[in-house]
Amino acid sequence: MDFYKFLSQNSLYVVLFVVLIIWAGIYSYLFRLDRRLRRAEDQVEKHHHER
Amino acid sequence: MAGDSKFNFAEWLRSATGVFWKDFRSELRTRYALNALVMFVVTTLSIVLFSMTEENVAVDVLAGILWVVIFFSAMSGLSRTFVNEEERGTVMTLHLLASPSAIFFGKLFVNLALVFFLNTLVVVLYLLLINGFAIQSYGIFVLTLLLGSTGLASAATIIAAIIAKANTKGTLYPVLSFPILLPLLLTVMNGTKLATGPASLSDAAVEFRILISYSVVVTAASYLLFEYVWKD
Amino acid sequence: MEWWKIGVGIWLTAVFAVALSFPIVPEPKHWYEFPVIPGLEERARIIFFHVPVAWTTVVAFLVALWNGVKYLRTMDLEADAASSNSAGLGLLFAVLATVTGSIWARFSWGSFWNWDPRETSIFVLLLIYGAYFALRSAIESEERRARLSAVYAIIAGVTAPFFVFIMPRIMTGLHPGSRGDVQGSGPVVQFHMAPNMLLVFFAALIGFTVLFAWMMEIRLRTSRLELHFMNADSEQS
Repeated sequence: MDFYKFLSQNSLYVVLFVVLIIWAGIYSYLFRLDRRLRRAEDQVEKHHHER
Repeated sequence: MAGDSKFNFAEWLRSATGVFWKDFRSELRTRYALNALVMFVVTTLSIVLFSMTEENVAVDVLAGILWVVIFFSAMSGLSRTFVNEEERGTVMTLHLLASPSAIFFGKLFVNLALVFFLNTLVVVLYLLLINGFAIQSYGIFVLTLLLGSTGLASAATIIAAIIAKANTKGTLYPVLSFPILLPLLLTVMNGTKLATGPASLSDAAVEFRILISYSVVVTAASYLLFEYVWKD
Repeated sequence: MEWWKIGVGIWLTAVFAVALSFPIVPEPKHWYEFPVIPGLEERARIIFFHVPVAWTTVVAFLVALWNGVKYLRTMDLEADAASSNSAGLGLLFAVLATVTGSIWARFSWGSFWNWDPRETSIFVLLLIYGAYFALRSAIESEERRARLSAVYAIIAGVTAPFFVFIMPRIMTGLHPGSRGDVQGSGPVVQFHMAPNMLLVFFAALIGFTVLFAWMMEIRLRTSRLELHFMNADSEQS
């Protein structure tokens, strides 16, 4: 309860919280995308070498 | 062309004027672009007049509308010079007959002629038919028109060359031209607004400088880039 | 995973945390306090987000332009891929900049859109990006598409700077009365930021630019893979 009271008076921290959540989402999206690409590229490399 | 490494100006001039006269005579014969331009001007001016029967419209707005009419009329007619070549299948022949720069300048002058014709028509009709629009400083007005016309023709020509090679030519032309022409449009509208008031030539010095540099820059860039657009 | 990608995550998290938590006080006494900017107060924090995003869209445009020139000189389709990918990211950031900017405008000056110089120039940039992609979608031949969009990008890049010179002229011409703070270009140019704010601001600029570089890298790698599988397909058939 005290936590919510604090937040409703210092709304800036709500904004901070929201921004960090959004940023975390975007960042993990990019991170996963990068990792998937890396795996696909490694597959391509493997096939190249097997040829 | 094959064999000659030295640039022959007389040859080049003959090529460019040849391209110019070819398009000019063809246009006089078929009048495709001219018809489009005239009809467009008449219809847009009529709409403007209809909406203005009682109201007194501010001069600033009228100055703006003048250039709206000019811009869209230009969009309806200035792409013909390149689109015609594609439609008639004469592109290859033109490739063989003239160098890219000769073609570019030839067509630039065709569009310049069209723009001068268009602007004269619009301005005359505007001055005659629209009451609120009166010019006080003719010097500024004429100079703005002249310089604006060269910039307009120049930008319109290179964009016309680009869209002639694309699929949806008609709608693409204004879409591509507008961002490129916006600096010019804003400046000539400003100049025209100044001309409706008691201003001296030096008041519009900034506008003239912008218009001159715009025309120079766009023509130079178009000339350099044209052969990349033209080659196939 | 490259170190700089992890680094940019930590970097921007720190920037966001600082931008949104350091108190704004009238008389800053500590290094972790920002001064109050009269007229803006708490809204000043948007500077750490909106301006870097707008900056990134300009960077993206320059990268697209540069690669357009490179394509014309080398005829390498990878340069064209870089050009169009950069333009795509530029469009994304331009939209973000416009949206955040108009929200800021609403709360600072009263309305979402005012046609002031900065707003008009971002609008023009949006038009240029829109026209660029309209052109690309209207050409089927790969080589021709690359060539013509490179030329268009160059023409646009050559005419866009003119706005820097017309803008002041237009503003004085069209607005006879001054409207409150006619720092038409917005407070960014006018006021001097306190050193600690400046530091955070530049950190944000760098952070967003690196983020853009990562997004570009991902898109380029994707294009390359797509190209590879397209070629592999045609080799097998």
